[in-house]
Amino acid sequence: MSPVPAAAVLAALAAAALLADRTISVAVVATVLLALCLRVPRRRRWPYLVGTLGSAAVLFVGSPLAARYGGIVYWEGPSVPVVGRLDVTSEELAEALFQSLRFAAVGLAFAAYALLLDQDRLLLAGGRLRRSVLAVALATRLLPTLERDASGFVEALRGRGVAVEGLRGRARLLSPLVAGSLERSLNLAESMEARGFGRPGRTRAPQPAWTPLDRVALAGAVLVVAGGALWL
Amino acid sequence: MALARVQDLTYRYPHSASPAVEGISLELRAGELVCLLGPSGSGKSTLLRALAGLVPHFHGGQFAGRVEVDGVDTRRARPSELAGTVATVFQDPEDQVVFTGVEHEVAFGLENVGVPPDEIHGRALEALEALGAGHLAGRRTDELSAGELQRVCVASALALRPRLLLLDEPTSQLDAEAAEGLLDLLTRLGCAAVISEQRPALPLGRCDRVLFMDGGRLLLDADRADGVSWLADKRTAYLAHEPLIEEGEPDGEVLCSVAGAAYAYGSRRVAVPDLEIRRGEVVSLIGGNGSGKTTLAKLAAGLLEPTEGTVFRHGRASYLSQDPGRYLVAERVDEEVALGVAGDLRRARRALALADLAGFDGRHPRDLSSGERERLGLAAVLVTEPDLLVLDEPTRGVDPDRKLELAALLRAQAAERGTLVVTHDLVFAADVADRVLSSTSTRDPVHA
Repeated sequence: MSPVPAAAVLAALAAAALLADRTISVAVVATVLLALCLRVPRRRRWPYLVGTLGSAAVLFVGSPLAARYGGIVYWEGPSVPVVGRLDVTSEELAEALFQSLRFAAVGLAFAAYALLLDQDRLLLAGGRLRRSVLAVALATRLLPTLERDASGFVEALRGRGVAVEGLRGRARLLSPLVAGSLERSLNLAESMEARGFGRPGRTRAPQPAWTPLDRVALAGAVLVVAGGALWL
Repeated sequence: MALARVQDLTYRYPHSASPAVEGISLELRAGELVCLLGPSGSGKSTLLRALAGLVPHFHGGQFAGRVEVDGVDTRRARPSELAGTVATVFQDPEDQVVFTGVEHEVAFGLENVGVPPDEIHGRALEALEALGAGHLAGRRTDELSAGELQRVCVASALALRPRLLLLDEPTSQLDAEAAEGLLDLLTRLGCAAVISEQRPALPLGRCDRVLFMDGGRLLLDADRADGVSWLADKRTAYLAHEPLIEEGEPDGEVLCSVAGAAYAYGSRRVAVPDLEIRRGEVVSLIGGNGSGKTTLAKLAAGLLEPTEGTVFRHGRASYLSQDPGRYLVAERVDEEVALGVAGDLRRARRALALADLAGFDGRHPRDLSSGERERLGLAAVLVTEPDLLVLDEPTRGVDPDRKLELAALLRAQAAERGTLVVTHDLVFAADVADRVLSSTSTRDPVHA
């Protein structure tokens, strides 16, 4: 499938998860997207899945504690300044499950976009939006690049007998990772300018024509959004 | 008529106290191959950037003098307007890649300069094939080895069919055969090329002219014969020489032995040659790109455990990564080095002095030049005083004088430990090692 209709389908699934108002519908969308992500080799998919599912789990556990509604109390805890008494009700749990599934669906749609789509062809299809699509494509590559850099730092530290352990040890790598990204972005910008980026009169390498499957996928994306708004 | 003319160029980077280049004047003629030499930080990269128009347009700073390329004053034309006439390959291939697909990466410049769409695919493939990298066309850039990626970057420049090709250490990641192939190709291309190199033997054997810079000034601008005789008189480290040491028989205790070993990266299996290192000896490991040298080095250092075969290790091992950017974790140079010795700053400063970085203690590691960063990495592993020292490409970006100093340092400390040096630099390998081992391993799928 061409990347543009594929991106449209993923965006439609994320939109459907946001528009749907039944937990089971959102759960189905999230499951479909998770199944897509699981097709990618483990070493590439893990940062996305850990980030998305971990954040969704934090949302599910944390939001009932902060919320203050519902009548059926499952658990009552201590009183905390500013927040008040902590409790968990059945209504809060249901809402937390719904919202965390929504979050997971949107996160997994982005993960599938980053992991499965041919970013190059998407960029080349950008036409007049090429600059914006390029910015998105480069931003999408940030996560795997940071992951690779972090592995490199950890390996270099191990190579001189320094173990990187725990949250504190890993947190120490944050600053060099950010600084390294900034340095790399400057080098990349210089290289792009030297290769003529931004010059008027650019052309575009011929791209494969859309297939019937691509057209069906695009129509399907519209239906998924409509379904999310009207029936799910 | 000159293709490019530099007149009295002086340039200072923003926030820099001294000029990076000063009073440079030279002419480049169409079709000539020019070898640009000089120590790290001598202004070679800045001169190349000035010829590409990136100085001052991209970097800002203070610019005096005049640079003309193909009759165009670079102060009046942006670098993107010079693209096509000029093509530049920068030092670090990983920082130049825009696309995830090799063919798209090579086509990027062609699209930017407006090559007709039906020619783009053919020219991209032609450039890749000229560099022996046609088989990489369908690969992802993030799956390539450093040497393969460097070839893709050079292909991206060649595809533009420039009149002036500027190459900043284009063979730093290439094995000897690939580097020789690139230099041979440059002599056949017919465009003018300026090649800045820290492995000067290859370009010196093929170039028309030699330039030598030091301290931002151009000390030499001569044809090859005069250039070589000037180097023989003033900078002998830049010329081929006899190996500094004779091969000997090691007799210390065995610190590492590798037998029948292989390591699987996911579904990719890399088999490595057998190896034995004893205390008191220095072993150089050479071999082609992707032949498993780094895998063997990591197995020897204990950073990887073999999925097949056996690896015996005795004592403490330290490993220097081939990427000096991995030694930039702390906020100060001395603290970075002290990480390996539980924060002992006295030992860190001693190691910095050994690596010729005395006085750099309080600097931020990111403020160092690429050659200085390489020496910082070396200090960071030397400070640990390991039984086995494993150095992966320790001469990348290091000038010939510093290489001789590094070889002398490793030789002086050889008796204290076993040392394994992985390198593409055959001259350095011969200078530093008691034994030179060639890696000719194979890669194949685990399930094959």
